[in-house]
Amino acid sequence: MRTVGRWIDERLGISSILGGFVNRPVPRDVGWLHTLGSATLFLIIVQVVTGIVLTISYVPSPDHAYQSIQHIDGTPFGALVRGIHHWGATLLVLAVVLHVIRVFAWASYKYPRELNWLIGAVLLFVVLGFAFTGYLLPWDQKAYWATVVGTNVAGQVPFIGGPLLELLRGGTQLGASTLVRFYGVHIWILPAVLFLLVGLHILAVIRQGIAAQPRLTPLTEPSAGESRRAAYEREYAAEKRAGKPFLEAFYADAVVSLGVFILLVVLAIAMGAPLDEPADPNSVGYVPRPEWYFLALFQLLWYFTGPLEPLMITAFFTIAALVFVLVPFLDRNAERHPRRRPVALGLAGIAIVGIVGLTVLGATGTPTGLPSVPARPGMSEPDLRGLTVFNTQGCTACHSVDGIGGDVGGDLSTVGADLNAEELRSQIVDPDDREMPAFDQLTEEQLDDLVHFLAALK
Amino acid sequence: MSGRLPRLRARFGRSGEADAGDASTDPGRRAFLVRAVAGITGLIGAALAVPLAGFASAPGWQSSSPVRLLGRAIPPTLHGEGWVSVGALEDFAVGVPTRVVPVRQTTDAWVSGDAPVAAYVYRRSESEVTAFDIHCTHLGCPLDYIGAARRFLCPCHGGVFDREGEVMAGPPPRPMARFAARVEGGEVFLGGLEDAE
Repeated sequence: MRTVGRWIDERLGISSILGGFVNRPVPRDVGWLHTLGSATLFLIIVQVVTGIVLTISYVPSPDHAYQSIQHIDGTPFGALVRGIHHWGATLLVLAVVLHVIRVFAWASYKYPRELNWLIGAVLLFVVLGFAFTGYLLPWDQKAYWATVVGTNVAGQVPFIGGPLLELLRGGTQLGASTLVRFYGVHIWILPAVLFLLVGLHILAVIRQGIAAQPRLTPLTEPSAGESRRAAYEREYAAEKRAGKPFLEAFYADAVVSLGVFILLVVLAIAMGAPLDEPADPNSVGYVPRPEWYFLALFQLLWYFTGPLEPLMITAFFTIAALVFVLVPFLDRNAERHPRRRPVALGLAGIAIVGIVGLTVLGATGTPTGLPSVPARPGMSEPDLRGLTVFNTQGCTACHSVDGIGGDVGGDLSTVGADLNAEELRSQIVDPDDREMPAFDQLTEEQLDDLVHFLAALK
Repeated sequence: MSGRLPRLRARFGRSGEADAGDASTDPGRRAFLVRAVAGITGLIGAALAVPLAGFASAPGWQSSSPVRLLGRAIPPTLHGEGWVSVGALEDFAVGVPTRVVPVRQTTDAWVSGDAPVAAYVYRRSESEVTAFDIHCTHLGCPLDYIGAARRFLCPCHGGVFDREGEVMAGPPPRPMARFAARVEGGEVFLGGLEDAE
């Protein structure tokens, strides 16, 4: 075995390249938190290989996509491979986000790594592009309706919205051309961009070296009149002198990748890859909800209203994306240590809390689909009749009582304490809030019962 | 150009292996070769890019959607050809929108054939009918008609429409899209999806 290896190596000389790679010195504190990047790379590799294998049995056509997925699930190891691909997508988004947070927290995007932040930021969008184009492919209800909403969001862009939407769908209709376009983008175009950018991303890491953990006191003294490059090289050379071989960090990468892999297989076996009902463009009553990683965006759309909504959506998303991509050029503070970057970390913290908060709201907010509020103990006869009116008139689409119902219109659990019967009546038939429809079609009796019920909520 | 050439010359001219002959070590010759290779590569790239990008983006630049400052959703509905009967007028109660799913002749790219296309038929009076597309005009989620509330509710972002398809609440910017509809011989017929201009 060893002889064969030596024979091959004499001809290819791989060991000297590999040796140089794994023995190169890296800063001593490169450790567990740096494994987020390699875990991301590991998950990308898993997604590529499982994705390639899935194409053997998948048919990108509305007639057969769903059945081909069922066929994959029924083939030995098929459900496992699809499960790994599905959960790999979830873990990949998670790993990318954590990797971004780590890089931001340590300000690794500062000189001389600005370009690599740019490449990485675009890579995040590529990963989200994979996610968006990937989950249409099973052609189930979730896939279909998420694509309806997603392509319509693209339609909101000023001037080019219509053409952009048709470019994505392959026409105005959502059907055969949409599915095969998404498939082509998912398995060819995005991977091509991904390989190019990941290659550049890693090349930049090797060229500039892995960023050392920020220090409050530098290892070396600056000399007068030296250039930025010279100052950087002086300090980084000191980091490397005090450093360790990359093999040490590589070991941590391998251990974390193993952990991620085990988690992935456990998720794939225990949870499987979900498959909704087959896509039905004619269904009403289906409640579209995107995958968790798009919930924040989906939830955000609640808050843009009014005639200028399309402009606000586009402006918000564009500015947010630009700020994210241009972080190294917006943050001019040369300090890298978190303690000397309170503003940057504060702003990032607000963004993270916002995104997590929107995701939680999107995940827990009751979808409209008319939930029913149960009776409270000891309710009177008119109150119960009012409750029935409340449950059947669509009030729970927006309002909740005792935690049951929607959250856009507000919680009415104690509305009786705030408004009297007359005020309640007027808010129902002629609401002050333009977001609420006037329920002026109620009969006098229904209205009496409803007001009675609401007034008793204290 | 004048700034780049000397640099290129310096870089390529210094190469130790470039002893193949007088012609290729001559800086002028080198500059020509670099330019020629770059030019040929660029030309091939551009010549390929036009048909490739043109083909891939055809649905975009062929789009008939008007250029608007305020972008809008487009219903994903398959376009049914001609007129299709959805049943007798008397089977639709006055004032109650009813969901129908007629099978229509549709063309979806290279797939032609019969496909079900849903609509809400609303008999406004004894003789008048209106037919709505089922999608919310905000972002296209499927509208559910809640009979008791006499409202169409959107399950995504709380859009509410009345029976006439007018926006009552929430983010939808426009009334529900309509199908052409007519009554003939006591039967209700649906035509194409009307442009909501």
